Amino acid sequence: MLSVDISKFLRADGPDKVTGSGRYSADISLTGMAHAKFLYAGVASARITTLDTAAAKAIPGVFAVLTQADVPDIRFGSVADRYLFAKDVVRFEGEVVAAVAAVDADTAQRAVDAIVFEYDALPVVNDIEAALEPDAPLVHEDWESYSARRIVMDRNIASQTILTLGDADAALADADLVIEGRYIADASHAAPIEPRGVVAQWEGDKVTIWTSSQVPFQARDGVCETLELPTNRVRIIVPHLGGGFGGKCGFHYEAHIAALARAARRPVRLVFSRREEFLAPDRRREGMIVELTTGLRSDGTIAARKARILLDYGAYSSDATFFPHMAAMHALGPYKIDNVYAESSAVYTNRQPSGSVRAPTAPQACWALETHTDELAAAVGMDPVAFRRLNGVDTGASGVSGQVFDAIGLQECITLATEDVGYGDVLPGDEAIGVAIGWWPSFPGASGAYVKLDSDGKGVIVTGAQECGTGAVMTLPYLVANELGMQPEDFELVYQDTSAAPYDVGATGSQTLLNNGIATIEASYQIASRLREIAASMLEAEADDIVLENGHAHVDGSPDTAIPIARLARRANHTGMLIGKGARIAPPDPKTSISAIGDQGVSSFAGPQFSCHAVRVKLDRDTGVARVLAVSAAHDSGTIVNPIGAAGQVEGGVLMGIGQALTERTEYDDKGRQVNPALLDYKLQTFADAPPISVQFVEVFTPDMGPHGAKAIAEAPNVATAAAISNALGKLVGLPMRELPMTSERVWRAIQAVGS
Amino acid sequence: MTFTLASSLEEALDAVAAGATPIAGGTDLVVAARGGRTPLPESLVAIDRIPGLDTVTTHEGGLRLGATVSHATIASHPDIVRYFAGLADGSALVGSPATRNVGTIGGNVMNASPAMDTGAPLVVLGASVELASVAGTRVVTVDDLWTAPGVTSASSDELCTAVLLPAQPENSASAYVRLEYRRAMEIAVVGAATRVVLDGDGAVTSVDLALTAVAPTILRVTALDVAGSSIAAAADAAREAASMQATPISDIRASDSYRRHTVGIMAGRAVEAAAGRAAGEQISVPVNRAFGIGAPA
Amino acid sequence: MTESYTLTVNEVAYSIVADAQRSLLSVIRGEVGLTGTKEGCDDSECGACMVLVDGRPVNSCSYLAVQAQGRAITTIEGLASGDALHVLQRNMLEEGGVQCGFCTPGMIMSAHALLDQNPDATEEDIRLGLAGNLCRCTGYAGIMKAVVRTAREGLSTDS
Repeated sequence: MLSVDISKFLRADGPDKVTGSGRYSADISLTGMAHAKFLYAGVASARITTLDTAAAKAIPGVFAVLTQADVPDIRFGSVADRYLFAKDVVRFEGEVVAAVAAVDADTAQRAVDAIVFEYDALPVVNDIEAALEPDAPLVHEDWESYSARRIVMDRNIASQTILTLGDADAALADADLVIEGRYIADASHAAPIEPRGVVAQWEGDKVTIWTSSQVPFQARDGVCETLELPTNRVRIIVPHLGGGFGGKCGFHYEAHIAALARAARRPVRLVFSRREEFLAPDRRREGMIVELTTGLRSDGTIAARKARILLDYGAYSSDATFFPHMAAMHALGPYKIDNVYAESSAVYTNRQPSGSVRAPTAPQACWALETHTDELAAAVGMDPVAFRRLNGVDTGASGVSGQVFDAIGLQECITLATEDVGYGDVLPGDEAIGVAIGWWPSFPGASGAYVKLDSDGKGVIVTGAQECGTGAVMTLPYLVANELGMQPEDFELVYQDTSAAPYDVGATGSQTLLNNGIATIEASYQIASRLREIAASMLEAEADDIVLENGHAHVDGSPDTAIPIARLARRANHTGMLIGKGARIAPPDPKTSISAIGDQGVSSFAGPQFSCHAVRVKLDRDTGVARVLAVSAAHDSGTIVNPIGAAGQVEGGVLMGIGQALTERTEYDDKGRQVNPALLDYKLQTFADAPPISVQFVEVFTPDMGPHGAKAIAEAPNVATAAAISNALGKLVGLPMRELPMTSERVWRAIQAVGS
Repeated sequence: MTFTLASSLEEALDAVAAGATPIAGGTDLVVAARGGRTPLPESLVAIDRIPGLDTVTTHEGGLRLGATVSHATIASHPDIVRYFAGLADGSALVGSPATRNVGTIGGNVMNASPAMDTGAPLVVLGASVELASVAGTRVVTVDDLWTAPGVTSASSDELCTAVLLPAQPENSASAYVRLEYRRAMEIAVVGAATRVVLDGDGAVTSVDLALTAVAPTILRVTALDVAGSSIAAAADAAREAASMQATPISDIRASDSYRRHTVGIMAGRAVEAAAGRAAGEQISVPVNRAFGIGAPA
Repeated sequence: MTESYTLTVNEVAYSIVADAQRSLLSVIRGEVGLTGTKEGCDDSECGACMVLVDGRPVNSCSYLAVQAQGRAITTIEGLASGDALHVLQRNMLEEGGVQCGFCTPGMIMSAHALLDQNPDATEEDIRLGLAGNLCRCTGYAGIMKAVVRTAREGLSTDS
């Protein structure tokens, strides 16, 4: 596919990372640098009565103490529902009340402890169903004043989407069989291994901020908005980023630290502890209640589906206004259904705000839907895989929003995953295979890059894209080398610097290679075209006949007379240089026929990705402890550009899915505070738990999407794993799983319920 | 904070007498100090360099484990694995390989956590600890050592210098099994250790049983009279007695009722494993992994 | 109270003056100035801070620096000799064992200790031996390949 060999992908940032020489945010240290600590609310809902920083400021070694009174009085967020620091009230325990910069971290902490912070407790909205009662206290008393463009809000409902296609009620009434189910998912966390760091330094009226962000341009825009600065005075640089998974999307603490550095008149560094990483950012995977009603015909086809979904939104809007719409799409699923109705609401609570975490809303909603789907298959006496084959979408089919799919590979994914896992094999009595299907859109969007070749024929790719570990940015040199007949190592990468590069939305929505790959290839075309012109004049040929290959240019059919690209580059310096630019322009979204109230733009899945995960699970029935023995994951993500990178996304996404299925849960006490903000009791899967993960791709060339026919890849692998595990456990226990995660104790209780 | 790097036992005892807290690997002490939970003591004396304190020696037909013997050593020491396998089971499950390298048996017993993985094995093996001070040395059983969560009967000027494992009865063996949600990096949700003595015919002579994380201290199960019964019957009795006598709490890791049920399951499995070992079966350490779910795929 | 002592890190002796309660991690990252060793949890739960003390893996976040005096400390920066990557580093890179890279130094140090002690480590030995090092990116699949390959090639192979 590519003329360069990417089968032995060597990431350019790899040597930095394996030798320890690579710098992450917490590794940045500047002369005179002060250290930041935050005062957090520590209480989920309260009215501030006293906030006195005088004693803190008086401590020797304290350079600055800031509260909302010290920064512009600006509300920000998707519906402008929050300030940088708590103002008058606090709405979740991790809300920042004040910030200190001091000579060292211990002094900063002592200053935080010296701040007089008193409050009157307010009622805590801690339950999304209770929050909808007419007399429920409001998380935001003044919600009606928020700027809710296109967003349906109502009291504690922060964002609501209602989808209607056909007539679900009539179709349910006519159905041969109606199955209902209610499924409850707990909140969880992205939990990247790097706790975030932010360093800010002012030089004159310009600030440079090094930060652990997945989305440097969004972070810049947040600083500009909240501190009232133009973009040309704010530069965001992201050092190596120690993982994100959505947890470092959005705008977080860059403005706090910039404001502190300005007040302290010296650089300031913030480094989060693991506990802060759990409690404070407006990012967690939201808890969810999904109620599904599906009408079936006697032939096993689905006549109609209704869904009612409640999402625990937390205290502020973050980037999550589209969650209800996205959750509804996943609760309806990649199925052929002509009559659907979904009512999906994000509900404000006095908890940490929810925000995009890898495939936001999809793992929970897919888990609910696919658990329900096994119940549907059982109800009509069909094998659950056959049921999915019958009802799942295929090329040319119309999905739940009326979108008609071009060439897609869902059915082939089902075949590959189930064959690979040995579906149908006779297993020991304590083992079972569960299967689930999932989908996730690609997000084509604006993205820019420059490429230049210097006079020795070596190049630099300057890209707005952000590398969060996936290898997406590290794949760009392969794409450029492929266009120019050069080698990936001929190129340096300048990236994660908002002042150097053109815009990119960041490492969010799996869009990096999808969009920036297109932009970078376009920039390469311009250079290739210049190289061909120069070579053509030297070889007395037509530019169109020049082939760029093996670091040389030659006339097609005459490879023996070849000019090194370095020579062309030297010559180009005197004739206009070799500078290319590329900008991705997103294609129009596929058409749909669904009606959406509170439309957040995700009824249409551009470049839709499909997957089937099949898992073999072993259950200890005496204790409810389950172990995943093997996973077969098949994905249609279009053409696979980087096989090692893509496989790594699936392997990592699957293991994250196993954690969500079995052990990862954020629990709250009755006061809305997290019970387990630490890695001992928020249990990621360890190496010892990791099963073999078999990865297969159904490479459906997808036009007008990513480079070389690719779709996106990074989030899709996280969608269907928990659902597949649920279905294996459902078989072993004899009851569908109703709560996520399916902890050992919950599984044991289900076993008891069957036994009694 | 003052810090003394003791190079002899005498130096360490002097420091402890002067109010210093002993530190060996620091795995409990230093972690507990994070986030201001339990600040480090004002005065510390490091005992990890004291010659001879990290050795395993024979002692009155049993073994004497110096206080700074690590979990890694215990989990792989041939005599411990052979004669005191339940303790090796426990040490092999502690934390991660790094924690097992650094963490010591002395630190573990003096930390007195009701969730410690070596606790229940030490109880069923009849272990004692040697407590030294400038005034002299005394020996107390582990049952008498642990009085409450994180509290021991040792006085503040006493240093644990060794854990003593007495000679075990003929035809006996021990095992420790715990419930774990992950295959590694767990803290015991519940656990159970037993020592089973068999008679010449393969019937049970006696079962000692102790439980992890279901009471304020490691809990010794009483009145477990299984003399003459089959191994299966003894396992049933252990299961029932463990669930009955446990007084667990509910927390983030498990509810009281789930703990009560699973500690019985662990007790039954521990009896099966220990009896198997006593009968000469080769059951590797840690026995947890020989049981269903903990086994390799 | 401030203590003065000597730490030997990657065969270089450093004179340290620091409070006795400082962790080995904070002194390595601070006074010694080597930032390859990472802080991921400060709780011995993630393994990002793994270093070798006298050849054995230690969570440096939970070990007092002052206790490490007189011992040989090896960090990720001390693994390779010269400009070439250590075989474990190279294999991690080539087998897809590295994504965000934040767990990578600790993972490599643990893997080094494991293979040093058990050159014939099986996949199960590797799973359990590296269980104290959390990775959120890779599902451990690429890391497994890298460590298996290193076991096959030998830890002291030139890369």
